[in-house]
Amino acid sequence: MMQQTSLQMAPPAPATGATNAKVSIRRLNFHYGSFHALRDINLDLREREVTAFIGASGSGKSTLLRVLNRIYDLYPGQRAEGEVLLDGQNILSPRQDPNLLRARVGMVFQKPTPFPMTIHDNIAFGIKLYERLGRSELEARVEQALRDAALWDEVKDKLQQSGLSLSGGQQQRLCIARAIATRPAVLLLDEPTSALDPISTAKCEELIDQLKDRYTIAIVTHNMQQATRISDWTAFMHLGELVEFGDTEQVFTRPRERRTEDYVTGRFG
Amino acid sequence: MADLIIAEPAATLSRAGRYQRQDRYFQWLTGGFALFVLLLLGGIVLSILDGAWPALRQFGFGFLVTETWNPVTEKFGALAPIFGTLVTSIIAMLVGVPLGFGIALFLTERCPPVLKRPLGIAVELLAGIPSIIYGIWGLFVLAPFLQHHVQPFLIDTLGELPWIGALFQGPPYGIGVLTAGLILGIMVLPFITAITRDVFDTVPPLLRESAYGLGCTTWEVVWNVVLPYTRAGVVGGIMLGLGRALGETMAVTFVIGNAHRISGSLLAPGTTISAAIANEFTEATGDLYTSSLIALGLLLFVITFGVLTAARLMLRHLERRRGA
Repeated sequence: MMQQTSLQMAPPAPATGATNAKVSIRRLNFHYGSFHALRDINLDLREREVTAFIGASGSGKSTLLRVLNRIYDLYPGQRAEGEVLLDGQNILSPRQDPNLLRARVGMVFQKPTPFPMTIHDNIAFGIKLYERLGRSELEARVEQALRDAALWDEVKDKLQQSGLSLSGGQQQRLCIARAIATRPAVLLLDEPTSALDPISTAKCEELIDQLKDRYTIAIVTHNMQQATRISDWTAFMHLGELVEFGDTEQVFTRPRERRTEDYVTGRFG
Repeated sequence: MADLIIAEPAATLSRAGRYQRQDRYFQWLTGGFALFVLLLLGGIVLSILDGAWPALRQFGFGFLVTETWNPVTEKFGALAPIFGTLVTSIIAMLVGVPLGFGIALFLTERCPPVLKRPLGIAVELLAGIPSIIYGIWGLFVLAPFLQHHVQPFLIDTLGELPWIGALFQGPPYGIGVLTAGLILGIMVLPFITAITRDVFDTVPPLLRESAYGLGCTTWEVVWNVVLPYTRAGVVGGIMLGLGRALGETMAVTFVIGNAHRISGSLLAPGTTISAAIANEFTEATGDLYTSSLIALGLLLFVITFGVLTAARLMLRHLERRRGA
């Protein structure tokens, strides 16, 4: 694979936490211009497990997600300090090519964002960016991605129609299919169900549950029930700080911090 | 609805009546304005047709395919101006579209914020320069520069090539079809830039981020996502520029050389429809001469209309193929 060539440094031993950490965030600080949006975040995302980020709007959870694939790089004045190790490799290093990084860290956004092309091409596009495949191989990958996203049966007869012709829930699953078609190491989901109706939301959650067998997933959500339903780990953030991080069940039933308890029981936020 | 109104007190009732009357007057008034546009367009078309009729009756279809333009013998054919109009406009598009796209893409995708406003304003100022200024500048600055520095080089290099060599042969006059096309390219540049920049700005940030999020380079994002998303607006911008290039008169008249002949070389002088009209209307003595010039105007009208129609058809075709 192309991206492997960029991994030249030997992976250092994890400083803290679990040995199966896929992503290790160390002393991460983030600034939007003069605004200090993330303060000294230390956190591990474990391999093939789901980590949920909860907290009020403006707590920095989306910002944290946006650091993990360096999408913030697109905007001048936004900068991150500290270390984010993906498989031991610091992705914040200037030597890290952001495009190669983003090919390894897929992202799905608050709203469905199908590209203005056919359903088939929406999936094939990302694959073709980094891999040169024969036609039948490519078709197989497209089908696999759509199957993995539980969308294949609904779209198999209209692959040549526009991605925009699908319903909102289908569009979002198309975006998830697009994100996993490139076989990323990590999947970032930024409030992926906030624009969906309850039935589509349920389908997406089921899908996330299936995907965690193969992917390390980080999900931002405003929906506390959703966090309890789908995540193994929960991080509660408040005003740019990581207040509490732990096993989802523990965070929701026996929070160590008062602020976490207030938030998860709905007393503020 | 009516029941509701009757139940209201008398004061409200009269108010309602007044509002209804006002709305009706307003509809008549604005509808009248809109109708006025149709009348105006129809009137212009009719009067041009009427003016062009003697020439069209005299020369018939031959007017379109004859190169001769001889006021002495009163033999007039429009082929040279039509050819010049199309060729200069094509050159203008070849210059203006890539440059305009490039500037617009830089402004929307890569530009540091401190440069964004000054560059945007500079582009808009370029659009505000009167065409006579472009004409003078073209004649006194650009043409001599091309004559002394660029055209000899083109003749020595591209002129020696097979196939396209014929386009760059002959003496370097400075003025000519190529110079006119370049001036036109500069003139349409701000229109294309401003419109494409505005439509590129309409791409939702999340859509853009989704493409970058897959690992796309800026070029891949632009080519695969931004351009398809903004296709209608982009075609609109190009067509507006093309419309201006086809009809632009003053600047072209200055630098094209005003020769009613068709040359295989882009360096040779030529003429365009609008340049011919502007140049010759004052000296058109005979009725047939005047009528031929008006017939040229009619042709320009038809060409511009045809371009706009073709653009609409193309857009519709593209939309259908996209399967939306």
